[in-house]
This record gives sequence, structure tokens and C-alpha cells, in this order.
Amino acid sequence: MVDQVVNGHHGGLIGSQPTPPTTAGEAKQFRREAGFPTGWLIAPAAIWLIVFLVIPLISIVVFSFWTSSGYGMEPDLTLHHYGEYFHNQGFFIPGDDNFLRPSVFIRSLGSTFYFALVVMVLCLVIGYPIAYFLAMQVKSFKWQLALFLLCMVPFWTSYLIRAVAWIPMLGRRGLFNKMLMGLDIIDKPIGILLYSEFGYTMALVQLYVVLCVGPIFFSLAKIDQAILEAARDMGASIFQIFREIIGPLSLPGVAIGMIFIFVMIMGEFATAVVVYGGKTSTTGTVILNYYAIANYPFAAVNALMLMLSMMIGVVVILKIVDIRKEL
Amino acid sequence: MAKKRQKTPTSVRKAGLTRRQFVGTAAGTAVAGAITGFPNIVRAADPTRTIGLGVSIINEIQGQASKDLGFPIRGQALGYGAMFGKMLNQNDQYEVAEGYYNDFDVMVPAKVWQPIDTKRIKQWDAVTDLCKTGRLTPDSNVGQGDAPFRHLWVDENGDRVEGPSRYITAVPGWHNADSMGYNPEETGRKIDSWAELFSDDFKGQVALLNVPQIGTMDAAMGVEALGLYKFKDKGNMTREEIDFLIDFLIKKKKEGHFRAFWETFGQSVNLMVSGEVVLESMWSPAVTAIKAEGVPCIYAFPKEGMRGWHGCLSISAKVTGKALDQAYKYVNWWLDGWAGAFVARQGYYMSVPDNVKKFLEPEEWDYWYMGKPAAKELPDPFDTIIVPEGEIRDGGSYWDRFKNIAVWNSLMDENDYLVKRWTEFLSA
Repeated sequence: MVDQVVNGHHGGLIGSQPTPPTTAGEAKQFRREAGFPTGWLIAPAAIWLIVFLVIPLISIVVFSFWTSSGYGMEPDLTLHHYGEYFHNQGFFIPGDDNFLRPSVFIRSLGSTFYFALVVMVLCLVIGYPIAYFLAMQVKSFKWQLALFLLCMVPFWTSYLIRAVAWIPMLGRRGLFNKMLMGLDIIDKPIGILLYSEFGYTMALVQLYVVLCVGPIFFSLAKIDQAILEAARDMGASIFQIFREIIGPLSLPGVAIGMIFIFVMIMGEFATAVVVYGGKTSTTGTVILNYYAIANYPFAAVNALMLMLSMMIGVVVILKIVDIRKEL
Repeated sequence: MAKKRQKTPTSVRKAGLTRRQFVGTAAGTAVAGAITGFPNIVRAADPTRTIGLGVSIINEIQGQASKDLGFPIRGQALGYGAMFGKMLNQNDQYEVAEGYYNDFDVMVPAKVWQPIDTKRIKQWDAVTDLCKTGRLTPDSNVGQGDAPFRHLWVDENGDRVEGPSRYITAVPGWHNADSMGYNPEETGRKIDSWAELFSDDFKGQVALLNVPQIGTMDAAMGVEALGLYKFKDKGNMTREEIDFLIDFLIKKKKEGHFRAFWETFGQSVNLMVSGEVVLESMWSPAVTAIKAEGVPCIYAFPKEGMRGWHGCLSISAKVTGKALDQAYKYVNWWLDGWAGAFVARQGYYMSVPDNVKKFLEPEEWDYWYMGKPAAKELPDPFDTIIVPEGEIRDGGSYWDRFKNIAVWNSLMDENDYLVKRWTEFLSA
């Protein structure tokens, strides 16, 4: 146990990680001894990814430069759709209303980003204590598992059902309004709960919070109790322990959870329709609308911009937390 | 238009082919293939594949067609976007396309379908003038927008021509006119104008249809009825007209006028049933669904006229030989009346009313087509009673209703610009 801690790898509740080969020489030797070219093992995954990810991705890039004919695409290269995406009529023309107003598509992307950030923060605030309780306060492994599964219960039904379920909760004749009226806090139903930014954010948090509970729980559960004990023996306060040990060691879980939530919400469009009453446009809905009128090149431009911003977001998260090092 | 209405979305149905028949056919084919070495000689008919929305692709319809025609018809009901994409890009994946004339500005120039020879349509002369001239009766108004008669006629190469020709793009089928639905207990008054969509009395309790092409037309009718603007052609607006309309809508949205924008049939029903809205643009079968939940709902018959839509049957350009014969048989079968009677019980009309009459009981005909009070309880196509005795449809008879179509569902020349401005409206 002591050796492992020295090496930076420690056993935890969930089990210890195997020590990876530390030098290239050892790795080579391992491969020779196995007598099987391990490179082949990744062939199925590689073929799968090439056929179903790389090729479609390249075609999206290519299509984004094609010309929309009104009923499909023609392979005439053009930058028109990129211009359309970025340019806003009146942008940077002094005196115009749209002087500093980016195009509606950039604004859609921006509002998608904004909701992603708000929901990420809320999920962290709500999800971390849940994970902490599960990993640190519940001592029996059986109970940990049972409570963790309990967190998963809502996921046994379909995503859409969970979104739709907010309507009878938040609606004008919904549970919340009835409750508030019963308590004499309001005298007539309020509409702001549903089909509003409030309802939308609330639904997104509920839908995605478990995505961060899982990874945070696992990284917390891996923390060796011996370190915490040692810290306590040395007289560290509970806040010190959290700041110096638990916090940093759970960061990889936080980062992975945030990446999950970020990527899911950036591609979101169904919840906006169901819970926000379609009163906002996410990049997902923009893509859908242009697909529906057969303007595939413009849908492709939007898809690429969405992907690019997702990549930037993920890179930023990974820059803040070096998962590789922390694990 | 009721285009997103689906009983069972995106499911491929083996219409009318029982499992036993299917196994028998498959085994027979296999045996024949093994023994003679010529698998195509002894063989049951290939199925005819048809795609469309849940409005016309319903198990019972394609099942009955298979039974009547003696070869299997396989229907696939899709959502609107998926249907549009598949019709346009995969015309080798279907024989018959059950589409809508308002998509024809895209579909016809793309030449994904073959011109249909009216000489092979037995009931062609019985098809009403609604699609042929745009006038169901001689004194009817010709609606603006993509009225079917503007998209019907082609030459033998599939290029558009004016007026009557031997060849057509698609055989006219089921159709209806849409307007608004309202809860009379909540509105407290009769709604008979599109202007009511923007009335301050219903602020925060109004919903619009979130399909840019159709939602803007409903809104344009409201704006026109308010006397704020006069559109030259609501079915084909100019950029200036679109700008005026969207700016008005954005202003209304910021005032909190709209409760929600709905995309599917079910959403429009839920909005009214749950009391979230009192007035919304609506498709006619939704009224029945709302009433079935015990919530009062009336389908408005606005004085400015309704918004029409028209479904139709086309044949893929890839279909030849025996498959083509089958496709023609299926298309002809739609006009024979059975299918028309089936969709009539959902409130839709058919292009050959005389044939539909043969398959409806007199009371049904009087209620659905003649606009008379129901002489007895009437069922929907699935034998659930939905019309109580004595009930009457707003808007009068079929002929009264279609005399005054203000505008038809359309695809505008400025469609890209429209979608862009609509996106701006939604994110405002």
C-alpha cells in the first residue's frame, strides 16, 4: 500500500488501477512476449470509426462548401454559406441597429453555450454533494451501490418522458402552482414556471445531473482513506483536507462529468421544444430547420460550428484539469 | 396541416401480410430457387413500398389495399423532415410517395418522380376541379400560394406546363383546411377572425405552429385581418413582407404574447388540454382529441378564409415494368373510395367525393361532407365513438369550406431568408 502511494497510484474502494508500463522498453518487451500483434486489437474500433465517423465527418466538411440548389446540393465550391453564417446585415455599419450584433446563428450558438454553462454550474453544485455523500459518508459498499442505483432510477424511463413530466409539475394547473396557491403564497397561477428560461434550466439540470454524479462518485471513492486518516492525524481541519486532498483528487471526475454535460447540452434540441415551448433556438434546432428545407450545406456549416465550439469547450476543460496526470 | 400526426411514428409496417402468409411466401421462394435455379419464376409479387406521413400511412389503409389488390403494400410513416429527405434523396427506396403539393417546388425540378399518365388513372374524370383548376365550384376563390393546380400539370418529360395536359406530377388525394382551435369557456366569445391570434385579451395564452413555412402564413393572416399590412401573395412573400411580419412577431413575443410554439400534433393537444393556451393555430383532428379529454374546443372558421393543404400520390422515377403496374394499381385504389371514407372519419376530404359516399353511411356523409348535424353517434376509423348525436362541424359543407381558401401551404422563393428570420424570431 505504501509503495503504491509513493508511485502515485493507490488502491481505493473501487479497486486499484494496474500500474502502466513506465518505459517504452518494457512496453516493447511485453508486446513481444505476448506473441500477438496487439495493434490488430484496435482494428474493429478503427474500421468502425472510419466508416461511421471519419468519412461522414469529411463529407460534412465537403458539403459545407457546396452550393445549395434549393432541392439538394451541387458540387460547386462556395464560401457563401460561411458568409451567411457569420455575416449579419448592417453589422459594423455605423449607425445601424445591428452595428455590434452578431448574426442570429452565432447568437443561437451563444445562447446554447450560455445554457450549457449555467447548467454545468448548477449540476456541479447539486451533483458534487450527492457524490460526496455517497462516497465519503456511506461506509458500506452495498449501500453505496444501492444508493447509486437509486440515482439512476429516473434513467430507466425514456429521456422524452422525463422532459414531458415537467409539464404537469410546472404548468399553470401543475403541482407547483397548486402548492403555492394552497399555501396562499400566490392567488392565481403563475406562468413563469413552464415555457420559460427557469423551467428549461430546471429540466436540463434534472435531466443531466446524474451524468456528473457518476464520475465524481468514482473519483471520490478511489481516494485512499489512509491519506485522509494521515491528514487528520497531522491535525488538518476538514476544510484543509478538502482543499488539499479531496478537492484535487476528485477533479478528474468533475472534469469528465462536466464534459459529459457540456457535450449533451450543446447538441440539445428536444428539451427546448418540450419544456421551453420552442421559444428559443438552439444550434440543434437551426440544423433541423435547414435540413427540413433541404439546405444541406448550411445545415453542415452549423453542424461544423457546433462541433468546433464543442471541441474548444472540451479542450478548455481539459486544460483546466489535466486528467491524465490526476488519474 | 396535419402533417406530423402519427399514430406510430417511423415504423415500417407489413401491411396486411400475416406472418403465416409471409413465411409461406418466403419458403416457397426458397424452394423454387433451390430446385429450379431460377428464383424469379415461381414467386409471390414483390411488395410495393410507399412512404408518407401518418396522415395517409396507416396500417388499416395499406392493409386493405393489399387485400383488395392481391399484392403486399408496405407503408412507412415518417416525420415531416425525414419524409422530405427520403423522398428527395432515396427514390430507389420507395415506389409510391404520398407527399404534399407544397413541397413540389423542390421535388418536381429534382425529377425524383415520373410523370403520371392520366390515361392510366381510371377515375381521372371524376376527380374534382379543386386540383385541376383551383376552383372546387365555379364561384370559388383561387387561393394564394402553392395551390395544387399550380403544381399539377407536366409534360411527358416531367417539365411543368400551364393548364390541362395528359401528364401530371401526382394524383390528388386527401386534403383539408386548417385554422385555429379555441376553448370557448376561456375566450368567452366566438373566434371568427385570424386577427384574434394577436388580441391582447389572450396575451400569454396563445400558441403558434413552429413550422416556419406554415406558421408565418397563419401569422400573416392575422396581421392582414388586423389591417396592419397587405401582402401581395401570402404564399410567396417578398423579403420586405417577411421583414415586416417577423418584426411584428418579435415585438409580440417580447410582450410575452405567446405561451409556446408547438411542433407536433400531440403538443398542440396537450397545450389546450392542460389549460396553457386558450387559442392556437391547430389541425382539425386535434379538436376531436381535445374534446375526448373532456376539454371544450371549437375549430374556428375565420371569415378571411382558411389555410389549405393537399396530399397526393406520386411514383418514383426508378419504377418500371411490373412494379410500375403495381404502383399505378395502388394509386388508382386510393381514388376508389374505401381510403377516402377511412380518412373522412378523421375529418379529411378526398379528391373523388362521389366514390367516398359509397363507402360512408348516409349519416356519416351528411356530417363529414355536408356539414349537417350528426343524426346519430359517429365513430372514428378505429370504431371509437367521437361524434355525439346532434353535433355539427363549423364551416359548413365541404364545398362551402373549400370555396374560400385564403392561402395554400407553400414553399416560398425566399424560403432560406424566411427560415433565417424565423430563427431570429424564436431566439428573440
